[in-house]
Amino acid sequence: MGIRAQRRGLFLTVAGIAFMISACQKPTSDTVQQSPASARALSGSLADPARLQQDDGQWVMSAKNYAATRFSSLGEITPANVKQMGVAWTFSTGVTAGHEGPPLVVGDTMYLVTPWPNILYAFDLTKPGAPIKWQYDPKPLGAAKGVACCDIVNRGAAYANGAIFFNALDGRTMSIDAATGKERWVTQLTDINRGETMTMAPLVVKGKVFVGNSGGEFGVRGWLTALDADSGKTAWRAYSTGPDKDVLIGPTFKPHYDSDRGKDLGITTWPGEAWRIGGGTVWGWLSYDPEADLLYYGTANPGPWNPEQRPGDNKWTAGMFARSPDTGEARWFYQTSPHDLYDHDGVNEMVLADLQMNGGTRKVLMRADRNGLLYVIDRLTGEVLSATPFVPVNSNKGVDLKSGRLIPVKEKESKQGMVVRDICPAAPGAKDEQPMAFSPKTGLLYIPHNNVCMDFEGTAVSYIAGTPYVGASVVYKAGPGGNRGFFTAWDPLAGKPKWQIKESFPVWSGALVANDVVFYGTMEGWFKAVDANTGQLLWQFKCGSGIIGHPMAFKGPDGHEYIAVTAGIGGWPGAIVSADLDPRDATAGNGWGGMLADLKKTTTKGGMLYVFTVGGGT
Amino acid sequence: MGRFTFALVCTMAATLGCERETRRYTELPAAANRSTAVRLTTLQPGSPQPISNVQSPYQYNAYGLAEGKRLYAAYNCAGCHGVAGGGAIGPALMDDKWIYGSHADQIFSSISQGRPDGMPSFGGHIPDQQIWQLVGYVQSLAGLVSQDAATSRNDDQIVGKPENRIEGTKQIQTGHR
Amino acid sequence: MAPLIQSVLHPAGVQAARLNQLWWVMFWVCTVVFISVLTALAMAIARGRRSASNASDATLTGSVGAAVGISVAALLVLLTASEITGRDLDALKAQNALRIQITGNQWWWDVQYLNPDPSLTVVTANEIHVPVGRPVGIVAKSNDVIHSLWIPALHGKRDLLPGRQSEIWLQADRAGVYRGQCAEYCGAQHAKMALTVVADLPDDFERWLSHMRGPAPPPATESQMRGRDVIERGPCAMCHSIAGTLAGGRTAPDLTHLASRSAIGAGSIPNTRGNLAGWIADPQHIKPGNKMPATGLASEELQALLDYLETLK
Repeated sequence: MGIRAQRRGLFLTVAGIAFMISACQKPTSDTVQQSPASARALSGSLADPARLQQDDGQWVMSAKNYAATRFSSLGEITPANVKQMGVAWTFSTGVTAGHEGPPLVVGDTMYLVTPWPNILYAFDLTKPGAPIKWQYDPKPLGAAKGVACCDIVNRGAAYANGAIFFNALDGRTMSIDAATGKERWVTQLTDINRGETMTMAPLVVKGKVFVGNSGGEFGVRGWLTALDADSGKTAWRAYSTGPDKDVLIGPTFKPHYDSDRGKDLGITTWPGEAWRIGGGTVWGWLSYDPEADLLYYGTANPGPWNPEQRPGDNKWTAGMFARSPDTGEARWFYQTSPHDLYDHDGVNEMVLADLQMNGGTRKVLMRADRNGLLYVIDRLTGEVLSATPFVPVNSNKGVDLKSGRLIPVKEKESKQGMVVRDICPAAPGAKDEQPMAFSPKTGLLYIPHNNVCMDFEGTAVSYIAGTPYVGASVVYKAGPGGNRGFFTAWDPLAGKPKWQIKESFPVWSGALVANDVVFYGTMEGWFKAVDANTGQLLWQFKCGSGIIGHPMAFKGPDGHEYIAVTAGIGGWPGAIVSADLDPRDATAGNGWGGMLADLKKTTTKGGMLYVFTVGGGT
Repeated sequence: MGRFTFALVCTMAATLGCERETRRYTELPAAANRSTAVRLTTLQPGSPQPISNVQSPYQYNAYGLAEGKRLYAAYNCAGCHGVAGGGAIGPALMDDKWIYGSHADQIFSSISQGRPDGMPSFGGHIPDQQIWQLVGYVQSLAGLVSQDAATSRNDDQIVGKPENRIEGTKQIQTGHR
Repeated sequence: MAPLIQSVLHPAGVQAARLNQLWWVMFWVCTVVFISVLTALAMAIARGRRSASNASDATLTGSVGAAVGISVAALLVLLTASEITGRDLDALKAQNALRIQITGNQWWWDVQYLNPDPSLTVVTANEIHVPVGRPVGIVAKSNDVIHSLWIPALHGKRDLLPGRQSEIWLQADRAGVYRGQCAEYCGAQHAKMALTVVADLPDDFERWLSHMRGPAPPPATESQMRGRDVIERGPCAMCHSIAGTLAGGRTAPDLTHLASRSAIGAGSIPNTRGNLAGWIADPQHIKPGNKMPATGLASEELQALLDYLETLK
């Protein structure tokens, strides 16, 4: 057997090399941004995501571009003609879990990775109805579903250098040839017996694939890992807890605030060995600033939720890192929720922009955090420029801009053995992973988010590897006003909303700005187009299931603009429907039972990809 | 290839085939017994035998059910199945739909063996006696135990009806979530 | 004579001494009152037979007045003594105090040495060490029912209430070993819920505390390795924790430094290898109703487990 396997391996290697050589010989051109979609090539230097991300005809990474704006300048769809938009084609994924993450479009091909079982589909956009070009089934372990906290979602793939990179729930990162669907490499990174899974969308920067683990509710130790895009071998790994050498903190680490300076804070801000099971996973979004050559990402909540089992600041969880993508060295860190009391992960996306502030241009990152504050942070230094509540907040009083520290509210502090009522925002936060969009045209952030409060009781919890390590009984409820969600256009300079749309359910879909039109979906299944300037509803379409997917825009081979989104209820709140939970238990779905009972009567599960265009469906 | 080698290969192949081709028409008595294993489905060939004759030893026992409740929290069952059995990562336990059946021994085997869709296998990690206590408590979440034995006491946040006020309804084996 | 490790009359700390003082004041006042009342009663009985009441109203008023006066005086003495003792007891609260959190469970004590620097906290169970001469602030909690912490040689009782937090301040002034006991009926094994208190000289205490901060030593022999494996793969890790291993249970006593404790089962039996083996094999025999089930370990597993547990000094 061994010899045969070796021979087969040799054969595959030879075949692979031959294939790569032939791929290199494909004609290349240097005019990717101007060329018509049908002529876009996949190979060689052109495929560098640093360039592709600037091409609004394509969508090569989850967040559209390194700045994570989810903004497309394609202008064919306008507030005037969006009313004529209709379905161009659809595709049923056959998966009934929550569909987060956007499809990708590279050249003439669309790529979609489903929730577990994480099948990767390639669709040929040149043909009518976009038939399947190939599909790749990574066959992830079913047991992995038992350690995925909040539905068995996947937040998308990334494209670079002729390959699609994505994560399977059971902790594998893989590189699939974008042209043929053949596997290039698969790297096993996590151990589900320790509660570790992978759900995030990778980011590729300078030949490295950045991936992080999930499992903050299972006592895992969070990390971000850089894999070599060609080989899949680990280049470096930066843990979110533990000694400085594990966190890749060295002489170049210059955090802006005193509380982040000191030796081995990843150990000394934890009791005993708790940092080994302290969470700080990296399941959210990554951004990259090519000019400063800094990679930005957030670290999730410390574990367990019961804060009394982990006194201290719990570095480096619930915060954000800036690192060098080459070496992984940390440059700065800012902790949004020191000693997090409410499961306020710090993983939300960071939108990079240059803003005119105080008479000068500031290079900032913007983050709408779970804790209810919208942060504008100097992305070169980590200094908080402003932190403004964007929902009703009673669990903190903002940020002390001098120390950078969140100001807690004593009477809302969560405790063990006591029920603290009406904490706003709740554990899923003012906004969870559902990514916002930023339009450089209007200067507004378009934030899909929640209006949810909670009752919280911490309970003593045992760490038992492979079982949940939460220690809290939580019950969510609608926030002030009674509407459970908002879609808000936020002016980051003025620190207030320009306009706001109330939604009955939490808005758990992503946002997309396609020039002057903003798209988002609701958990009822409405896919909506609103005017970027006024918030006026321009068009809506009722999809087959609730929408928690992330809409994207691309230019088809026919030269027309298309909008794509996945419907398929699920995710943390939508698991009420997709996992058929019983809302008579108010803690069902880890807290949603009490407030989302009506969702089961509103929508049903089932994943479907919808592609829209003006004049579609005719 | 030499004649000798050829002969050797043939002999080896023939020898290897012996065990494969053996036809045992009678087996040891134990192996020939009909299985009384826990059935996970109602469908059987021919006229069905009873699904289960095994009752939970704690169905009428308040102490055992209360211990089950304590263990349900202690072993982090609540983290996946909800504090009152509403479900989260794992399926709801308080409703009338069961994937692997609602009989005591079916629940016992689900806890002990685990299920490939994500349920960890607790067998060997906790004593059988505690699994039976958990079986009793899990049944009480759906109102399947004696109401005067079901636990009513709740030391923590009230998130659903007390177990002794849950009325059992007809339980259905759906086989899927 | 065996040392009086659990006696209010033999205080080993300033708080207990104050209570003891108050107790003696009360004792003597009550004794005087008791004897006086009995004497008066005896006199009254004797005189009542002799003559019908011919006392004047004035005499009566005088007697009643005197009696009320004496009563009020005695009451005032007691109130004052009580008030002074109460204030004295309160006066022990100090900034530099050692802070220990004790959480009652059926039927054992979870102990945490708190520290503003979280990495210096220590978790242990059923046995506390305190430094001689330094105030100790105990934060008392309960995870299930109402318990009461009573270390007679050091202080009075303090209830441990679920969902609430109470405090008790004490100080040991004499090195030695004292015994605490749950003083509020809390279920079947209320009687076997003892807390060993070791009062160390300050240097010894610091040494002990810094030793307790470390994780369990890695197993050295093959058998010890097997023992740790039994814990991590078997039922032990479901409830107990041992720092430095996969065992992270919180529903049972922390075992990181089990071998350094003097007793097992919250003071049920002395901590010897034989007793430990008996306890693990059948804890329900020794302390019926306690939450540890018989684990059904094979004897080979049990011996390896004991080899490992003995290293947890």
